Amino acid sequence: MSLSNILEDWSRYRKDREDGGFHDYEHMWGMAIDLNKCIGCNACSVACYAENNLPVVGREKFSKGQAMHWMRIERYWDEPDLGDDRISEFNQHGANFIPMNCQQCNAATCEPVCPVAATYHTPDGLNAQVYNRCIGSRYCSNNCPYRLRFFNFYSYYEDAWPAPLEMQLNPDLSVRDKGVMEKCTFCVQRIRSVKDKAKMDNRPVADGEAMPACAQTCPTSAIVFGDLLKHYDPDTNAPETKVTKMWRAHQVELGKPRQNKQNPELRGYRVFEGLNTDPCVMFLERVREV
Amino acid sequence: MFNTLQLPSGHITHCGARFVNRFLTPSLFLLVFSALLVLSAGAAHAESVVPNAVPPVGTHDGDDVPQPIEFPHNTHVDVNKINCMYCHTYARRSPVAGIPPTSKCMGCHSVIATDKPRIKKLTEYWENKEPPPWRKVHDVPDYVHFTHEKHLKRFVFDNEGMEVENVSEVCAFCHGDVKNMTVAHKVKPLNMGFCRRCHEANEGPFDCWKCHK
Repeated sequence: MSLSNILEDWSRYRKDREDGGFHDYEHMWGMAIDLNKCIGCNACSVACYAENNLPVVGREKFSKGQAMHWMRIERYWDEPDLGDDRISEFNQHGANFIPMNCQQCNAATCEPVCPVAATYHTPDGLNAQVYNRCIGSRYCSNNCPYRLRFFNFYSYYEDAWPAPLEMQLNPDLSVRDKGVMEKCTFCVQRIRSVKDKAKMDNRPVADGEAMPACAQTCPTSAIVFGDLLKHYDPDTNAPETKVTKMWRAHQVELGKPRQNKQNPELRGYRVFEGLNTDPCVMFLERVREV
Repeated sequence: MFNTLQLPSGHITHCGARFVNRFLTPSLFLLVFSALLVLSAGAAHAESVVPNAVPPVGTHDGDDVPQPIEFPHNTHVDVNKINCMYCHTYARRSPVAGIPPTSKCMGCHSVIATDKPRIKKLTEYWENKEPPPWRKVHDVPDYVHFTHEKHLKRFVFDNEGMEVENVSEVCAFCHGDVKNMTVAHKVKPLNMGFCRRCHEANEGPFDCWKCHK
């Protein structure tokens, strides 16, 4: 990976965005998260900890902002309804939840600022982080508008998994060292093994075959994961993926930085898409009775 | 930053930053670089026995790894012409090649050469129902994802003109000439440059996340 590779990444993205279609990518892994279904149970976060060898940092470091959760549930409270009865501190509807993992932006703001090109875009449409190359400058974290990059401030591998807990570490990905930036990878180890398996069988990757830990564990199936490039093809009669169907139904498109919000049926949006980061994660707005 | 220069031939040259600044001017560096590139490219395109494949170059004198039983690879592969995949059966269907279970050894050695001292030792392990504590010779770091399965598919099963009897030549790309070794020892560096050269020559995938995890 060098400067030329970064330029290639960017020119590939720009070309495909202008052509409309992203045909130069092998896959474009994407997500659709239905906030109507999300109950804020944090199961996705727990699954992510288990799958991706994340250390539990404890209350003290958490309060300093050194948490290591690749998947977090953000809570948003409505303005308290201080009407006739002023007893309730919080709105009777409760909190709004939004699960936030790395948005895998196509025009990622973290990529061009890395001085050593440790983060780059793969032909799978993933925003990759190469731990061995990372020198811990933390520019990427500062430039991420979503605050979804996490830094190893301590040597967690020394004491985060006291024996025999190290036996539960996932061997499919490395335990990160001190001074290294990390983030959600869309469970690239699972994607990789699924792609390997499909290639050994000489077939394309089927929809639902690649499944990150958060989507797998979600009790309400609020998280849908799949390939955004698989549209319905009348020639081969190949069905479109579930995630493509959801993106199309809510008229959210890659490379389109603004949504038409006139129709209340269209609930889809992407977080901070006005920044033109072109994320691969779409959220469906929560609808509630007022 | 320039304390360690990784040259394309795989040699690591240690030189101080001052030396780089004063003597290794960019043009000189480019000259050395291109010369080495030409050299390595020439070596990489040398004619090989296995069709449609360019074995990676580079050697590395690994230490001898003492094994519980001095397993003679040469007797099995060279003299008795046993396919590598007969014992290392997981190579074609999983990431790791693995070592065979003792039952596989005993499949033959309950009747063949039972009077040899090594076989007696093996039989002892077998009767005590404990596996011989074999030690790993070829290993890649934990942050590297390597699958034997896909490499065998590319170079053995999908390689036209490649007879399955010749599989030891393909294994020799990375494991050295095990055919003529007794106890296997590491002769190839198995570092990133080594992998890269082969991926370059054979147009393998070049994405960082293909191998690094």
